[in-house]
Amino acid sequence: MKTISDIKKGFKSIPAKIKSIPAKLSAKLAGAKEILTQGNGKVTASLIVMGLGQLIYKQWVKGFMFLFIQAAFIVYFVLTGATDLFGFFTLGMREGNAWYGIEGDNSVVCLIMGILAILIILLYAVIYISNVKDVYRTQCAYDTLKQPESFKKEVGALLDKSFHKTALALPVIGVCVFSILPIVFMILIAFTNYGGDIVPPALVDWVGFANFGKILSLGQFAPTFFKIFGWNMLWAVLATAINYFAGLGLALLLNKKCVKGKAIWRAFPILAYAIPGFITLLGFKFMFSYGGPINYYIQQGGGEAVGFLGLDAKWTARFIGLGVNAWISVPSTMLLATGILSNINTDLYEAARVDGAGAWKQFIKITLPYVLFATTPVLISQFIGNFNNFGIFYFLRGGLYADGYFLASDTDLLINWLYNMSIDNNYYSIGAAISLVIFVITSIISLTVYVLSPSYKQEETFR
Amino acid sequence: MNSAKVKVAKAKSKRVLDVLITYCILIVVAFIFFFPCLWLILASFSKSGSIYSFDGFFPAEYGFDAFKSLFTDTVMYNYPRWFLNTLFIAVMSCILGTLLTILTAYCMSRFRFKSRKAMMKATLLLGMFPSFMGTIAVYLIMTQFNLINQQWGLILIYSAQAPMGYMVQKGFFDTIPYSIDEAARIDGASNFTVFVKFILPLSKPMLVYTALTSFTWPWSDFILPKMLLIDKDLYTVAVGLMSLGETEFARFAAGSIFIAIPIIVLYFCLVKYMINGMAAGAVKE
Amino acid sequence: MKKTLPALIAHIAVILALIILMGTLGIIAAGIEAEGNDKFTGEIERGATLRILENDTAKEQGYLKELLDAFNAKYAEYGVKAVDANMDQYTDLEMGGPYGYGPDVLYQANDALMKYVDGKHILPLPVEQLECADKVGEKAWDAYRASTGGQEYIFGVPVNIQQPLLFYRKDLLPANWETEWDKDKNGVPDMIENWSAMYRYSKQIRQASGGAKYGYMKSLNDGYFASGYFFSYGGYVFGGEDGKDISDVGFSKNDGYLGAKIIRQLASVMNLECTEDTITRNSYSRMAQGAYFATMTTPDVYTLFVKEMVNAGFTEEYARANIVMTDIPALPASGNLEDEDNGFIDMTAMGGVNGYAVSSYTKAPNAALAFVDFATSYKMINRRAELLGISPARSDLAETLGGLNETIKENLDKGSIYVMPSVRALAQVWTPLQTFCATLADDVLTGKNVYTSDEKLKEGIKNVDKQIYDAIHTLGGS
Repeated sequence: MKTISDIKKGFKSIPAKIKSIPAKLSAKLAGAKEILTQGNGKVTASLIVMGLGQLIYKQWVKGFMFLFIQAAFIVYFVLTGATDLFGFFTLGMREGNAWYGIEGDNSVVCLIMGILAILIILLYAVIYISNVKDVYRTQCAYDTLKQPESFKKEVGALLDKSFHKTALALPVIGVCVFSILPIVFMILIAFTNYGGDIVPPALVDWVGFANFGKILSLGQFAPTFFKIFGWNMLWAVLATAINYFAGLGLALLLNKKCVKGKAIWRAFPILAYAIPGFITLLGFKFMFSYGGPINYYIQQGGGEAVGFLGLDAKWTARFIGLGVNAWISVPSTMLLATGILSNINTDLYEAARVDGAGAWKQFIKITLPYVLFATTPVLISQFIGNFNNFGIFYFLRGGLYADGYFLASDTDLLINWLYNMSIDNNYYSIGAAISLVIFVITSIISLTVYVLSPSYKQEETFR
Repeated sequence: MNSAKVKVAKAKSKRVLDVLITYCILIVVAFIFFFPCLWLILASFSKSGSIYSFDGFFPAEYGFDAFKSLFTDTVMYNYPRWFLNTLFIAVMSCILGTLLTILTAYCMSRFRFKSRKAMMKATLLLGMFPSFMGTIAVYLIMTQFNLINQQWGLILIYSAQAPMGYMVQKGFFDTIPYSIDEAARIDGASNFTVFVKFILPLSKPMLVYTALTSFTWPWSDFILPKMLLIDKDLYTVAVGLMSLGETEFARFAAGSIFIAIPIIVLYFCLVKYMINGMAAGAVKE
Repeated sequence: MKKTLPALIAHIAVILALIILMGTLGIIAAGIEAEGNDKFTGEIERGATLRILENDTAKEQGYLKELLDAFNAKYAEYGVKAVDANMDQYTDLEMGGPYGYGPDVLYQANDALMKYVDGKHILPLPVEQLECADKVGEKAWDAYRASTGGQEYIFGVPVNIQQPLLFYRKDLLPANWETEWDKDKNGVPDMIENWSAMYRYSKQIRQASGGAKYGYMKSLNDGYFASGYFFSYGGYVFGGEDGKDISDVGFSKNDGYLGAKIIRQLASVMNLECTEDTITRNSYSRMAQGAYFATMTTPDVYTLFVKEMVNAGFTEEYARANIVMTDIPALPASGNLEDEDNGFIDMTAMGGVNGYAVSSYTKAPNAALAFVDFATSYKMINRRAELLGISPARSDLAETLGGLNETIKENLDKGSIYVMPSVRALAQVWTPLQTFCATLADDVLTGKNVYTSDEKLKEGIKNVDKQIYDAIHTLGGS
């Protein structure tokens, strides 16, 4: 009940948030206006060329740094930046012909370098603004007859007050290039006709929402989508719950005082963890196959061979998938829970024991809230990981289309279906469009869960 | 008169029962996790290469042939070379990835800056995008940077993508009391010093967990190296093993076992840090 | 104040102007027609290094090294050096080639190579200049013929013909085969000659051993091998003159459903392992153990059978004498394996022509052509056949070597080999076909018995055609 009212509250706050946008914007504009109205000649200098104002103020190192950045950007724009940006819109003009050594435009490369160019232009804007702000700050310091902060001090702040800026710079750049860029690329692909016969060197074009229209108008699409989506949700919930509680339970079990030789007991799951997932999956596929050892023993015992992963093995295959997934994932959850449990404040337990609380009560009142708090983000990321768990059914039951499904089997998750469509069947743009649809659905679900979770709302609880 | 004694005896028998059940569960769990591994180990000692000459789970005849050919027959399948390649890539990605992840998590946990909540939500959302779709883009980026067929290209990707999974570590840092930071800051320590001198030592379990996970990912990944490494001499073990022939199962198993060894060794070296966390003591002081 | 705003605007304007100027220049540059010229001038590029992509077997058996050494010795005067590309044998040229990471010369199957034609990733070759030009049969050349822009080109040079062959254990033939199993008294056991006798023999072995031993065994869900049964009764993958008309999917055409009937009957003498790829992988050791009498596969794995025989305790000599590779048996004209009296038809199996192609991204096309010429010479192909047991596409060699080589060559010429169409959409054929074949086998082995009538079979295979058609057209059609 609480969560429902929370959601309602969340929705109610949306209009207020929207209303506050103009206010926030105008505050920003006021800041810009202040700089523009109060700025002196040095600010003007920095507005024209980055770092010029700083140089006039005799802040040599900083000034040259900004100047260098300015020069670097101009060189980038001249060399490739401008062409890349145009390529984003045209997606290439000239078709290559490798027979005659004619190097043409590669549409997908155009797209990706175009996105990169846009990112770089944004970065340029950010640096430009900080350059202007910086010189204005110096001006203000002089105006109030204070010494502006020395360069040394400013660098020092990067390890203290603005430590987060220093620390986050590299990860943010890395994530932008290798995680965000590819995702933006795939989202944009959904609006092109990339795929089928239209792959480089053939030129790709923007097609707007045509792919989404195609999906909507397709009779076979909707039934398969809902069937797979239902199973995918069930799978994600079950798999996450099983892995989480089994891992936590195992960690608690191994934390018990009466267990001797903890390191050894713990080593068995680690052994499972140490073997790469694809090897495990191939191994399990073999074990459950008609020719595998399990059927060998069944037949030796006089039984009939069982098609654990066979054509009609819908539910057995699904359960085996859950089990195998647990076998692979439980050890790492256990490791994580062990680490978290080791940090729990033992005083709490002592106090509880004095109050006469039993083991179960201690678990419910102390351990579980603590662990849940520390691991909600993990839980969500595991949920997402399971939702998009490609490997399990690709390895266990690939190469099969089930009756009543369009290009999918009855154990396939959405991501497997996407794979079948975009890689096996070459429909990159359609695959991207569908993944965008799926992405919107899943992100709404998990974002809601996340925003409502205690670890997001009360980050300060355990302080 | 006897009721106290009975109570004690009851409690004792309850405890014995508890211990008994605990061990029973442990044995079952150990068996579940160990058996498939045992099967793989035995398979690697099978004399015949094919998995189909086994009697059920167990090879009909044992021998060291698979291990011998794994390390000596290197014309087509240069396992020692692949092993070193993988080790290099995994170690470098582990160091860089752990560093970046821990830094990200610490900042997200301790600093309150403007774009923080937006960044947190964004990373959550981005993680949800079906990842294989992005691999085409990653490949194209790497061609533009001339990083195809180079181990550093892989290391770059692994360590750059690692901070995306900072959530686990952030959740952990959130549970370290703020009082520690404050006390240190009163003593005049900068944020950097607080992080290095006070928070990091408290985070050993999480550091170990992070290091282990960022080591195992490149260690056992198949998709990225398959796509980015072209020259067979640059292959990682995962790619190499998948190219083994159908009748080479024993060799495949032997190769798989050798992959597992570094992780197990790493575990035994690091296990004590994970289990003897010291936060409980630190808070009291 | 007065100067700040203009300064900001000026900065933005300059940057914008710069970007627009450079971007427009780029577009103008793109409009200029680039001059193209023919790459094959006949002049061998001095000092070039050629990266040669060969298959794993050639590397393993040492043929590649011999080939490279011989070539390098001959072309030492030009300073041309051929080296092993050291890549995965199935490397996709489309992935790496345009970015400069592909090999210069590739040896792959015709469908793999011809896939590169649309993107112009491989060069049309002046094959008339090659020594093997008139030695290789027309049908083999056809596999590499394609027309683009109204002109017909040849893109590859055939090396060997691939077709599935029957592998059997000679020592597991019935002792009295000469009297009981050789109706036409031609000295060849009937089960090797036709599928009906093979079926009868398999049934007999299976019954006599109580299910411990089998006759013919093969993973029936393997589309590459299973498709042959459909082809033999008039089915096809795609229609049209050249077999590339993807609007016409035709496994069910003519009497294609009889292929389904054959598969179902064959399954009845196997076990459920034939619904998955188990048998493909275990046939080597099971045949060595004597649990299977025969299977069907491609000739390049012959050594694996021998190896497993040796593992099972036989001498290599014995193994080589008793693992026999032969042309695939004939099918009953009636489409019923229980019928041995109404005549037989040749089985048409899916196959291909492996060969060399030259990457469009090579820096030394003339040297690459010289390499292809050298590698397809009589001497080298002869050596290749000797070391790797391939069936050469060169007619002169096939005749000299005789035996199976000649038969395979004839099979190609008379159309008993259905050459894999080199169409991108071929990738979309397999899963629906394989699922159906597995369903047929499962149907008889688990006793569901749904597909017992001809109507049901027709319906089933028609449905496969529809699934393939939908996969190709619903999403891709514009």
